[in-house]
Amino acid sequence: MRQVFALTMAFALLPTAWAQMPGMEMKEGTKSPMPTMPSELPRWMNSRGLDEIFYKRGPYNWAIDRIPAFAKDMYATGVGHAMAYEALVTGQSNQLESRVFSKIDWVLQHPPSMPVDEAAISPRFVQKYGYLEKVFDWAHTLHFQTIDVFSHPGMTDAQKEMEIDRLWKFYQSEPYAITGLPMNMEYLDSFPYSMTFRKNYPKVNGLFWGYHWLQTVNYDMLYRVPVKDHVPQYEVLGEQYRTSELYKTDRDFMPMTAEMSPRFAKRFPYIANAFDNLHMLHDNVNDILAYPGLTEKQKEDQIKIAIYRVLATTHAGQKAGEGEPMTLHDHRHPPSTPGMGMMKGSEEDVMFMSGMGWMDMSECAHCSIALPEEGPWGATVSANGWTMMVRCMMCARDMAAETPGRAIIRAATEDENRLLVMISDEEGNWTSNIKDVVFLEVFGEHPECSSWSRAFTSHAAFEKFVQANPDLKEVKPLSLEAWSKLNYGTPETYRKIDRPNPYRSGGATPPSDGGSK
Amino acid sequence: MNTQLFSKTIAALAVFGLLGMTSIASAHEADCPYCKLKLVQNMKTQDNEVVVKVGNKRIEYRCLYCVIKDQKRYKGDLVVYSPSEKVGEPVVLKRTDGKWTGPEGAVFLNTFKKHSECAELSRAFSSKAAFDKYVKDNKVADAKALSLSEFIALVTKPAK
Repeated sequence: MRQVFALTMAFALLPTAWAQMPGMEMKEGTKSPMPTMPSELPRWMNSRGLDEIFYKRGPYNWAIDRIPAFAKDMYATGVGHAMAYEALVTGQSNQLESRVFSKIDWVLQHPPSMPVDEAAISPRFVQKYGYLEKVFDWAHTLHFQTIDVFSHPGMTDAQKEMEIDRLWKFYQSEPYAITGLPMNMEYLDSFPYSMTFRKNYPKVNGLFWGYHWLQTVNYDMLYRVPVKDHVPQYEVLGEQYRTSELYKTDRDFMPMTAEMSPRFAKRFPYIANAFDNLHMLHDNVNDILAYPGLTEKQKEDQIKIAIYRVLATTHAGQKAGEGEPMTLHDHRHPPSTPGMGMMKGSEEDVMFMSGMGWMDMSECAHCSIALPEEGPWGATVSANGWTMMVRCMMCARDMAAETPGRAIIRAATEDENRLLVMISDEEGNWTSNIKDVVFLEVFGEHPECSSWSRAFTSHAAFEKFVQANPDLKEVKPLSLEAWSKLNYGTPETYRKIDRPNPYRSGGATPPSDGGSK
Repeated sequence: MNTQLFSKTIAALAVFGLLGMTSIASAHEADCPYCKLKLVQNMKTQDNEVVVKVGNKRIEYRCLYCVIKDQKRYKGDLVVYSPSEKVGEPVVLKRTDGKWTGPEGAVFLNTFKKHSECAELSRAFSSKAAFDKYVKDNKVADAKALSLSEFIALVTKPAK
């Protein structure tokens, strides 16, 4: 133990690129002791059988291939994971940031057109950590099948949601299932080995977090969006992924599902939580494998403990929204976001989002007024790698207008079954998935913006609305072109939450590296 | 929400049009699209926000150098509101059909060695006198007053 401590200290003193940049050092944060083996470790962890389980039967399987570029990028993430793991367990960690990174990067830029068996790429890793592969594979199956359901053209939105719930039950029926309860991310990232991988291998860690960006950003692209509108959105998101998100080495924390796909996470919080817990298990495993203070046996034990921490069986009987802070059973969540566990520094709904700063998730990201609880839910804006909830069409447009690059707005209309999807070019020229879309916009007080800034699927729907609201009967509908040209800038109600970055010493947010290789 | 409000809308749009961009730069935390460093906000005594209006977008940059370096990403005409020596009175530059124009008498400074200094050392001034005062007050070394065409030529010159 003493040796372990000495090694830990020596390692902590190693200079890293980050540590040399003033104000950018990753904070050590709260440290939990090295976890010890629980007495009730599931027996299957010691079974050497592969126990492969295949997909739930369904007409939707492989519908992801209807979005070819997305499917290929998703298949490549499996290859990337496997190559890095194989390098870590075969004594090639000193080449991770150079030769292995280049090899993975080549695959990511030339992705396979079908899923690749990770065991064929990482035989040593699978042989050694077969029990971990069972957990990863099973969760990845949930990832792919939920995507397949959303991508399938032969089901209504309601049928898809019911099938997603059936998939969740199917997933939970196996012992390898990860819990759908929110878990405290600060706690899960607080062990002596935590952050080792991101500090020592920032480029490969950037790839991992880039995969997690892709695996979480896609759900709002798909959820309740007509299948014909998936491919155009992925043209924007895929470019962002391949040119920027994969190569970011300055993220403060891994991308969270509720950050990237807030609508999906609100509807399926248990699935969002399971994905975040899965991604944190990836981080834990990376850190354990990269941590120099552990023997091979200790690494195997710590990986088993990390799996145990996130298994559904470990948390049987626990409830979302409850739990002792910073413990294994801390299942609290921000009140407005049941699909996310508590984050470092978060208080109620206020949390620090990498690249955006402190945000209150119960408020519009543009005007800081509380998000509507009734009526149209507002819109989301995806731009520059982030996705934010806003109250109204004006907030969506104006927030996108002040952000460089292409953007996507997904918005409620008067018809709850018709989601408006708009995509803009670099200069803010919008195209819409609803040909006859018209807008109501009568600039007034921001606290009521969701009543005077709205989108309608047709002129007739607009007329019906204004006839029912006598105050508006003189108002004319705006075409997409006319509406696009408006801009009210930053709202007077916008409230910036000015607090230091909880992830960095000195509180400074490091400058983005722009995602360069 | 009636005709009165509708009139307010038109009035507000007209006001924004007249005031230009100085009042509608981003308030959200953001990095410069070109150099990726944090944007420098306006101060009581000095404006720092460089705003580019292109199509329906209004994008904030850290300095004028970054705008010129990043201009190729935009196909349409540009209007650049570049902070000057006077608070609230930017030097307005335009790129129309690819050709840059600016107000008569405007001069430019571009002497930064590191990007962390670009907001202070890549700037526009309404006159040579204002340039000289800024250089003197801030003890800027190796300062040379550049015309707009000299500034653009310097920034776009291929690296050796």
